[in-house]
Order: sequence, then structure tokens, then C-alpha cells
Amino acid sequence: MPDTLTRERRCELLAAAGHEEIVTLAERLLADGVPRPTVVQAPEVGMVVLQVREPVEETRFYLGEVLVTECSVELDGVPGWCMRSGDDRIAALAGALLDAVAAAGLPALTDIDALCAAVAERQAAEEAAEWADIQATTVAFEELT
Amino acid sequence: MSAQAKDQDAAVGGTAWLELDQITERLGLGVDRVMGEAGLWAPELAARALRQAHGDPPEAAQLLRAHRTALPRLAIGEPVSTTELKVVRRISSAFRNPPGGQVLGRTLDYVGRLLDLMPEDEGKARNAGSPHAEDTRPHAHDHAHDHRHRDPDHAVPEEAVRTPAHVLATFRDMGLVAPPRGDGDPEPFDITRRPARPGAPRSAWLQTMARADTGSLLYLWYGSDWRPAGHEVPGELRHGILPLRVRHPHTGRPVTVAETRVSEVQTFHSLPRAGELPTSLDVGYGLCFGHNERKAISMAGLDLLLAHHEGATDLQHDVLLTLDGPDSTGYTQHLKLPHHVEYRSVLERAHAAARGTRLTERDTA
Repeated sequence: MPDTLTRERRCELLAAAGHEEIVTLAERLLADGVPRPTVVQAPEVGMVVLQVREPVEETRFYLGEVLVTECSVELDGVPGWCMRSGDDRIAALAGALLDAVAAAGLPALTDIDALCAAVAERQAAEEAAEWADIQATTVAFEELT
Repeated sequence: MSAQAKDQDAAVGGTAWLELDQITERLGLGVDRVMGEAGLWAPELAARALRQAHGDPPEAAQLLRAHRTALPRLAIGEPVSTTELKVVRRISSAFRNPPGGQVLGRTLDYVGRLLDLMPEDEGKARNAGSPHAEDTRPHAHDHAHDHRHRDPDHAVPEEAVRTPAHVLATFRDMGLVAPPRGDGDPEPFDITRRPARPGAPRSAWLQTMARADTGSLLYLWYGSDWRPAGHEVPGELRHGILPLRVRHPHTGRPVTVAETRVSEVQTFHSLPRAGELPTSLDVGYGLCFGHNERKAISMAGLDLLLAHHEGATDLQHDVLLTLDGPDSTGYTQHLKLPHHVEYRSVLERAHAAARGTRLTERDTA
């Protein structure tokens, strides 16, 4: 994991974080004195279209929609945003707050990036375990002559 | 109606409440089918719908589709190519050992098709003692498949690749499949915003089939009069993870906000054309939410015919107008509502016609 996360990568990891870990961190930061954010767009459950570019003619089509929750906040003039899968308004609000805290460069950025590092590490471990599991099902066919 | 219809839940009995994670993990293929036919990736909501519908997938798809209509569309995701699909299963029936490997993954394909009559107690004991009973890692694609093909002594061929190149690329390298026509990059048709009619672009029929009723799609493909001599070969079948990306509202750069699972098929055949020798292969494409290979194969077969078979206009009509599950099941549902007036009208017309026939016979006698 690089020393500094891009804002997009941080958003991805906050979107992938579990409800408990992201909400717990947001509540702790607020208790520790991080300014309360202004909610610009209240957490909203909605859909995003999954747009696919198919490989045959390389044209686009809409496969379907994905359930997400989106939220936008502002922290001393710095905007924060979160979109994550499912219908979890509280986690989306927490994610937007953490995005704003990180974008504002507040000291709590260290805690946020520590959470992101833990999520990234877990993701990598899960993916490696899953692939090892799947890879074991690889077969090579032989022709009878 | 003077008496309220009996709530079906009351008739279920005293068994334990069915938890959502039990449904998503143990009845995963049913959940996937519901999401695909509803056109909405939302595993927990689909599990709720399946529970509420007492396990009836079309009814559950109807519930989820109806719920979907009450949700706002927040964005259109960035176009994502299936070349970045992280496979959890990938097979090719065109090549013996395709580049990237034959990865069987989790599937019921190679399990004996015999009803498992293991005593319930023994089954529970085996499940409790399995290495996965204590495994709480979230698996995005757990289907409770009972056959995992795990063989510790099995030497893993090194060529297995997590994001393998499409077999289609190999066919193109061999000069057997024409390159993309390069007709520009038109905006996709959106069947959720305006009805698609024959003559609609390919993006309309792909979207229609992606959320079609699985059984209807299978029937239309399998039973189609348009099927050419011989049959197509699924050159590649994949099940894997595809990201959903949107642009960050403050930086304008793409962010992955969710992951979905899809089934993808590319099918190949050389369709007969008048006055032409078959020198190249035609390709059909299928892609749908979740693990539903039957649906993806059927979709690819129909896409092949729609895109390449001469005179497939009637087929396009059937694809665009008859495959939607909530449409067709809704029609059967409505037939169960009282139709007394309509039926009396039919009877009266029949009686009037009979009277008219008798009068005509008397006059001509």
C-alpha cells in the first residue's frame, strides 16, 4: 500500500469497509473534536446503471442497475462524498464525513488511512484465498490418440 | 371481496425464521436469478423478495422490479469492459486448453445428478464439521455448491489467469472472426426509459435479454425456428466479478463503488448465407447478473441469430416483446382477477351468433 492514497482510492476502500468499522471510526472522530459536518445531500438510496462495453462489437449497453447509497457533506467548506453498495444510510454518511476529513488534511487523516490500509489488506488476503481456492479447480485436457 | 384472502405466511407453520444470509448463501442461484430478472443487483433485497414469494423466482423478480421503480437513478456508471472480469469460473468448449486456463470453479456441472438421500442428521453433522463451517470470510459468490473440486494433490497448471483474455481475441488473431465493425460509439438504448420495438439497436436487445425471464429466454432460443443447421459452440463461458465505477463528484476521476457478479458467454457459429462459403465465424454475446449460465448461453445464441441471421425480424419482435418476466407473469396474474363482465359479453356474443345462425338457416330453408 503506498504512503499516500489518492482520494479516489480512499473512497473505494471506504466504500468497501464494513458498517461497524466505518461508523465506529466516524463516531470516534466526532467525539474527539472533529467539527460536525453540514449534510449537503442527505444519504439517499438509489441505483446506478452498470454500463458495459461488450467485446464483440465493442459497443456499450446497460446490463442493469446496482443498489447504492450516496451522501454528500461539507466540513468547514471542504466537500466530502461517499457512495457504497446496498442500502446503508448511516455508513454512507460516515464515509462522506471521513472523505471530507481526509480531504481537509485534518490530523485524523492518519486514522482514516489506517482503516483504509486494513481494508486493503483484508481485501487482498480474501482475494488471494479465493483465487487459490478457485485456481485449484484448473484442469488441462488431454487428447486420447 | 367480503373476506380477506388468507395470508400465506400463516400457513407456513412453526419452523424457524429464514435468515437473509441463509438465503443468499444456500439458495444463491435463486437469488442471482431474481436479481437478473429484476434488473437490479441487490442481494439482500433479492433474498427478502425470494422469502416473501415463498421461493417463487418470477414472483420474487416482480417484487424486486416493483421496488426498483420507487428508487431514483443516481448515475450512469462509467463503461466497464468485461476484459477486466475477475473470473471465479471460466471454461471454453472451443479450445482444449485455452490461454488463461480451463478454470472449473464452483459449479454443479460435474456432480452426479442423483437426488441426495443422505439422512438429515448426517448432512447437518457433515456441514458442521466442514472446514467452511467456521469460515466467516465474506464470499461474494458462495452458492453452497456441494462439490468444490478441491484436490490438494492436484497440480495447478501455471497458465490459470485471474483476468484472462477473451477467447474471441484468439479467434481474431487467427483471422477467423472479423474485427468490430467500428460503427462509432452510439449511446446505449435504454429500455427502462422508452419501449423498444423491432428495429431497435443491438444495445436494446442485449438489455432486454439481460433482464429477461430465464425460462422464456431458454425456450425462445432452444425452440427457435431460426436456429441454423448444426449448433453454435460456446467458445467461452465465464462467471466473475465486475466493478461498478462512477466519477468522483469533486475530482472527476473514476471510483469503484461496488462489485457485481456476472455470467458471460461468447458463442460461435458459421451461419449459412446465400451464395457465400463459410470462411469466418459469427459471434453471439450473452451477459447477465449473477451465476446463470443457462441464461447467458441462451442470450448469446439469440444475439448470434439477431445480429447475423438474414431475415430475423420476427425473432427481434419476440425478443423485444415477449421475454419480460413481470410482463408475462403479470398477464397470467391478471387473468385470475374477476372477469365476469368480459365473460358475460363473450357468452352474449356467442348466443347472439347462434341465434343469427338459426334465423339464417330458417330463412334459407
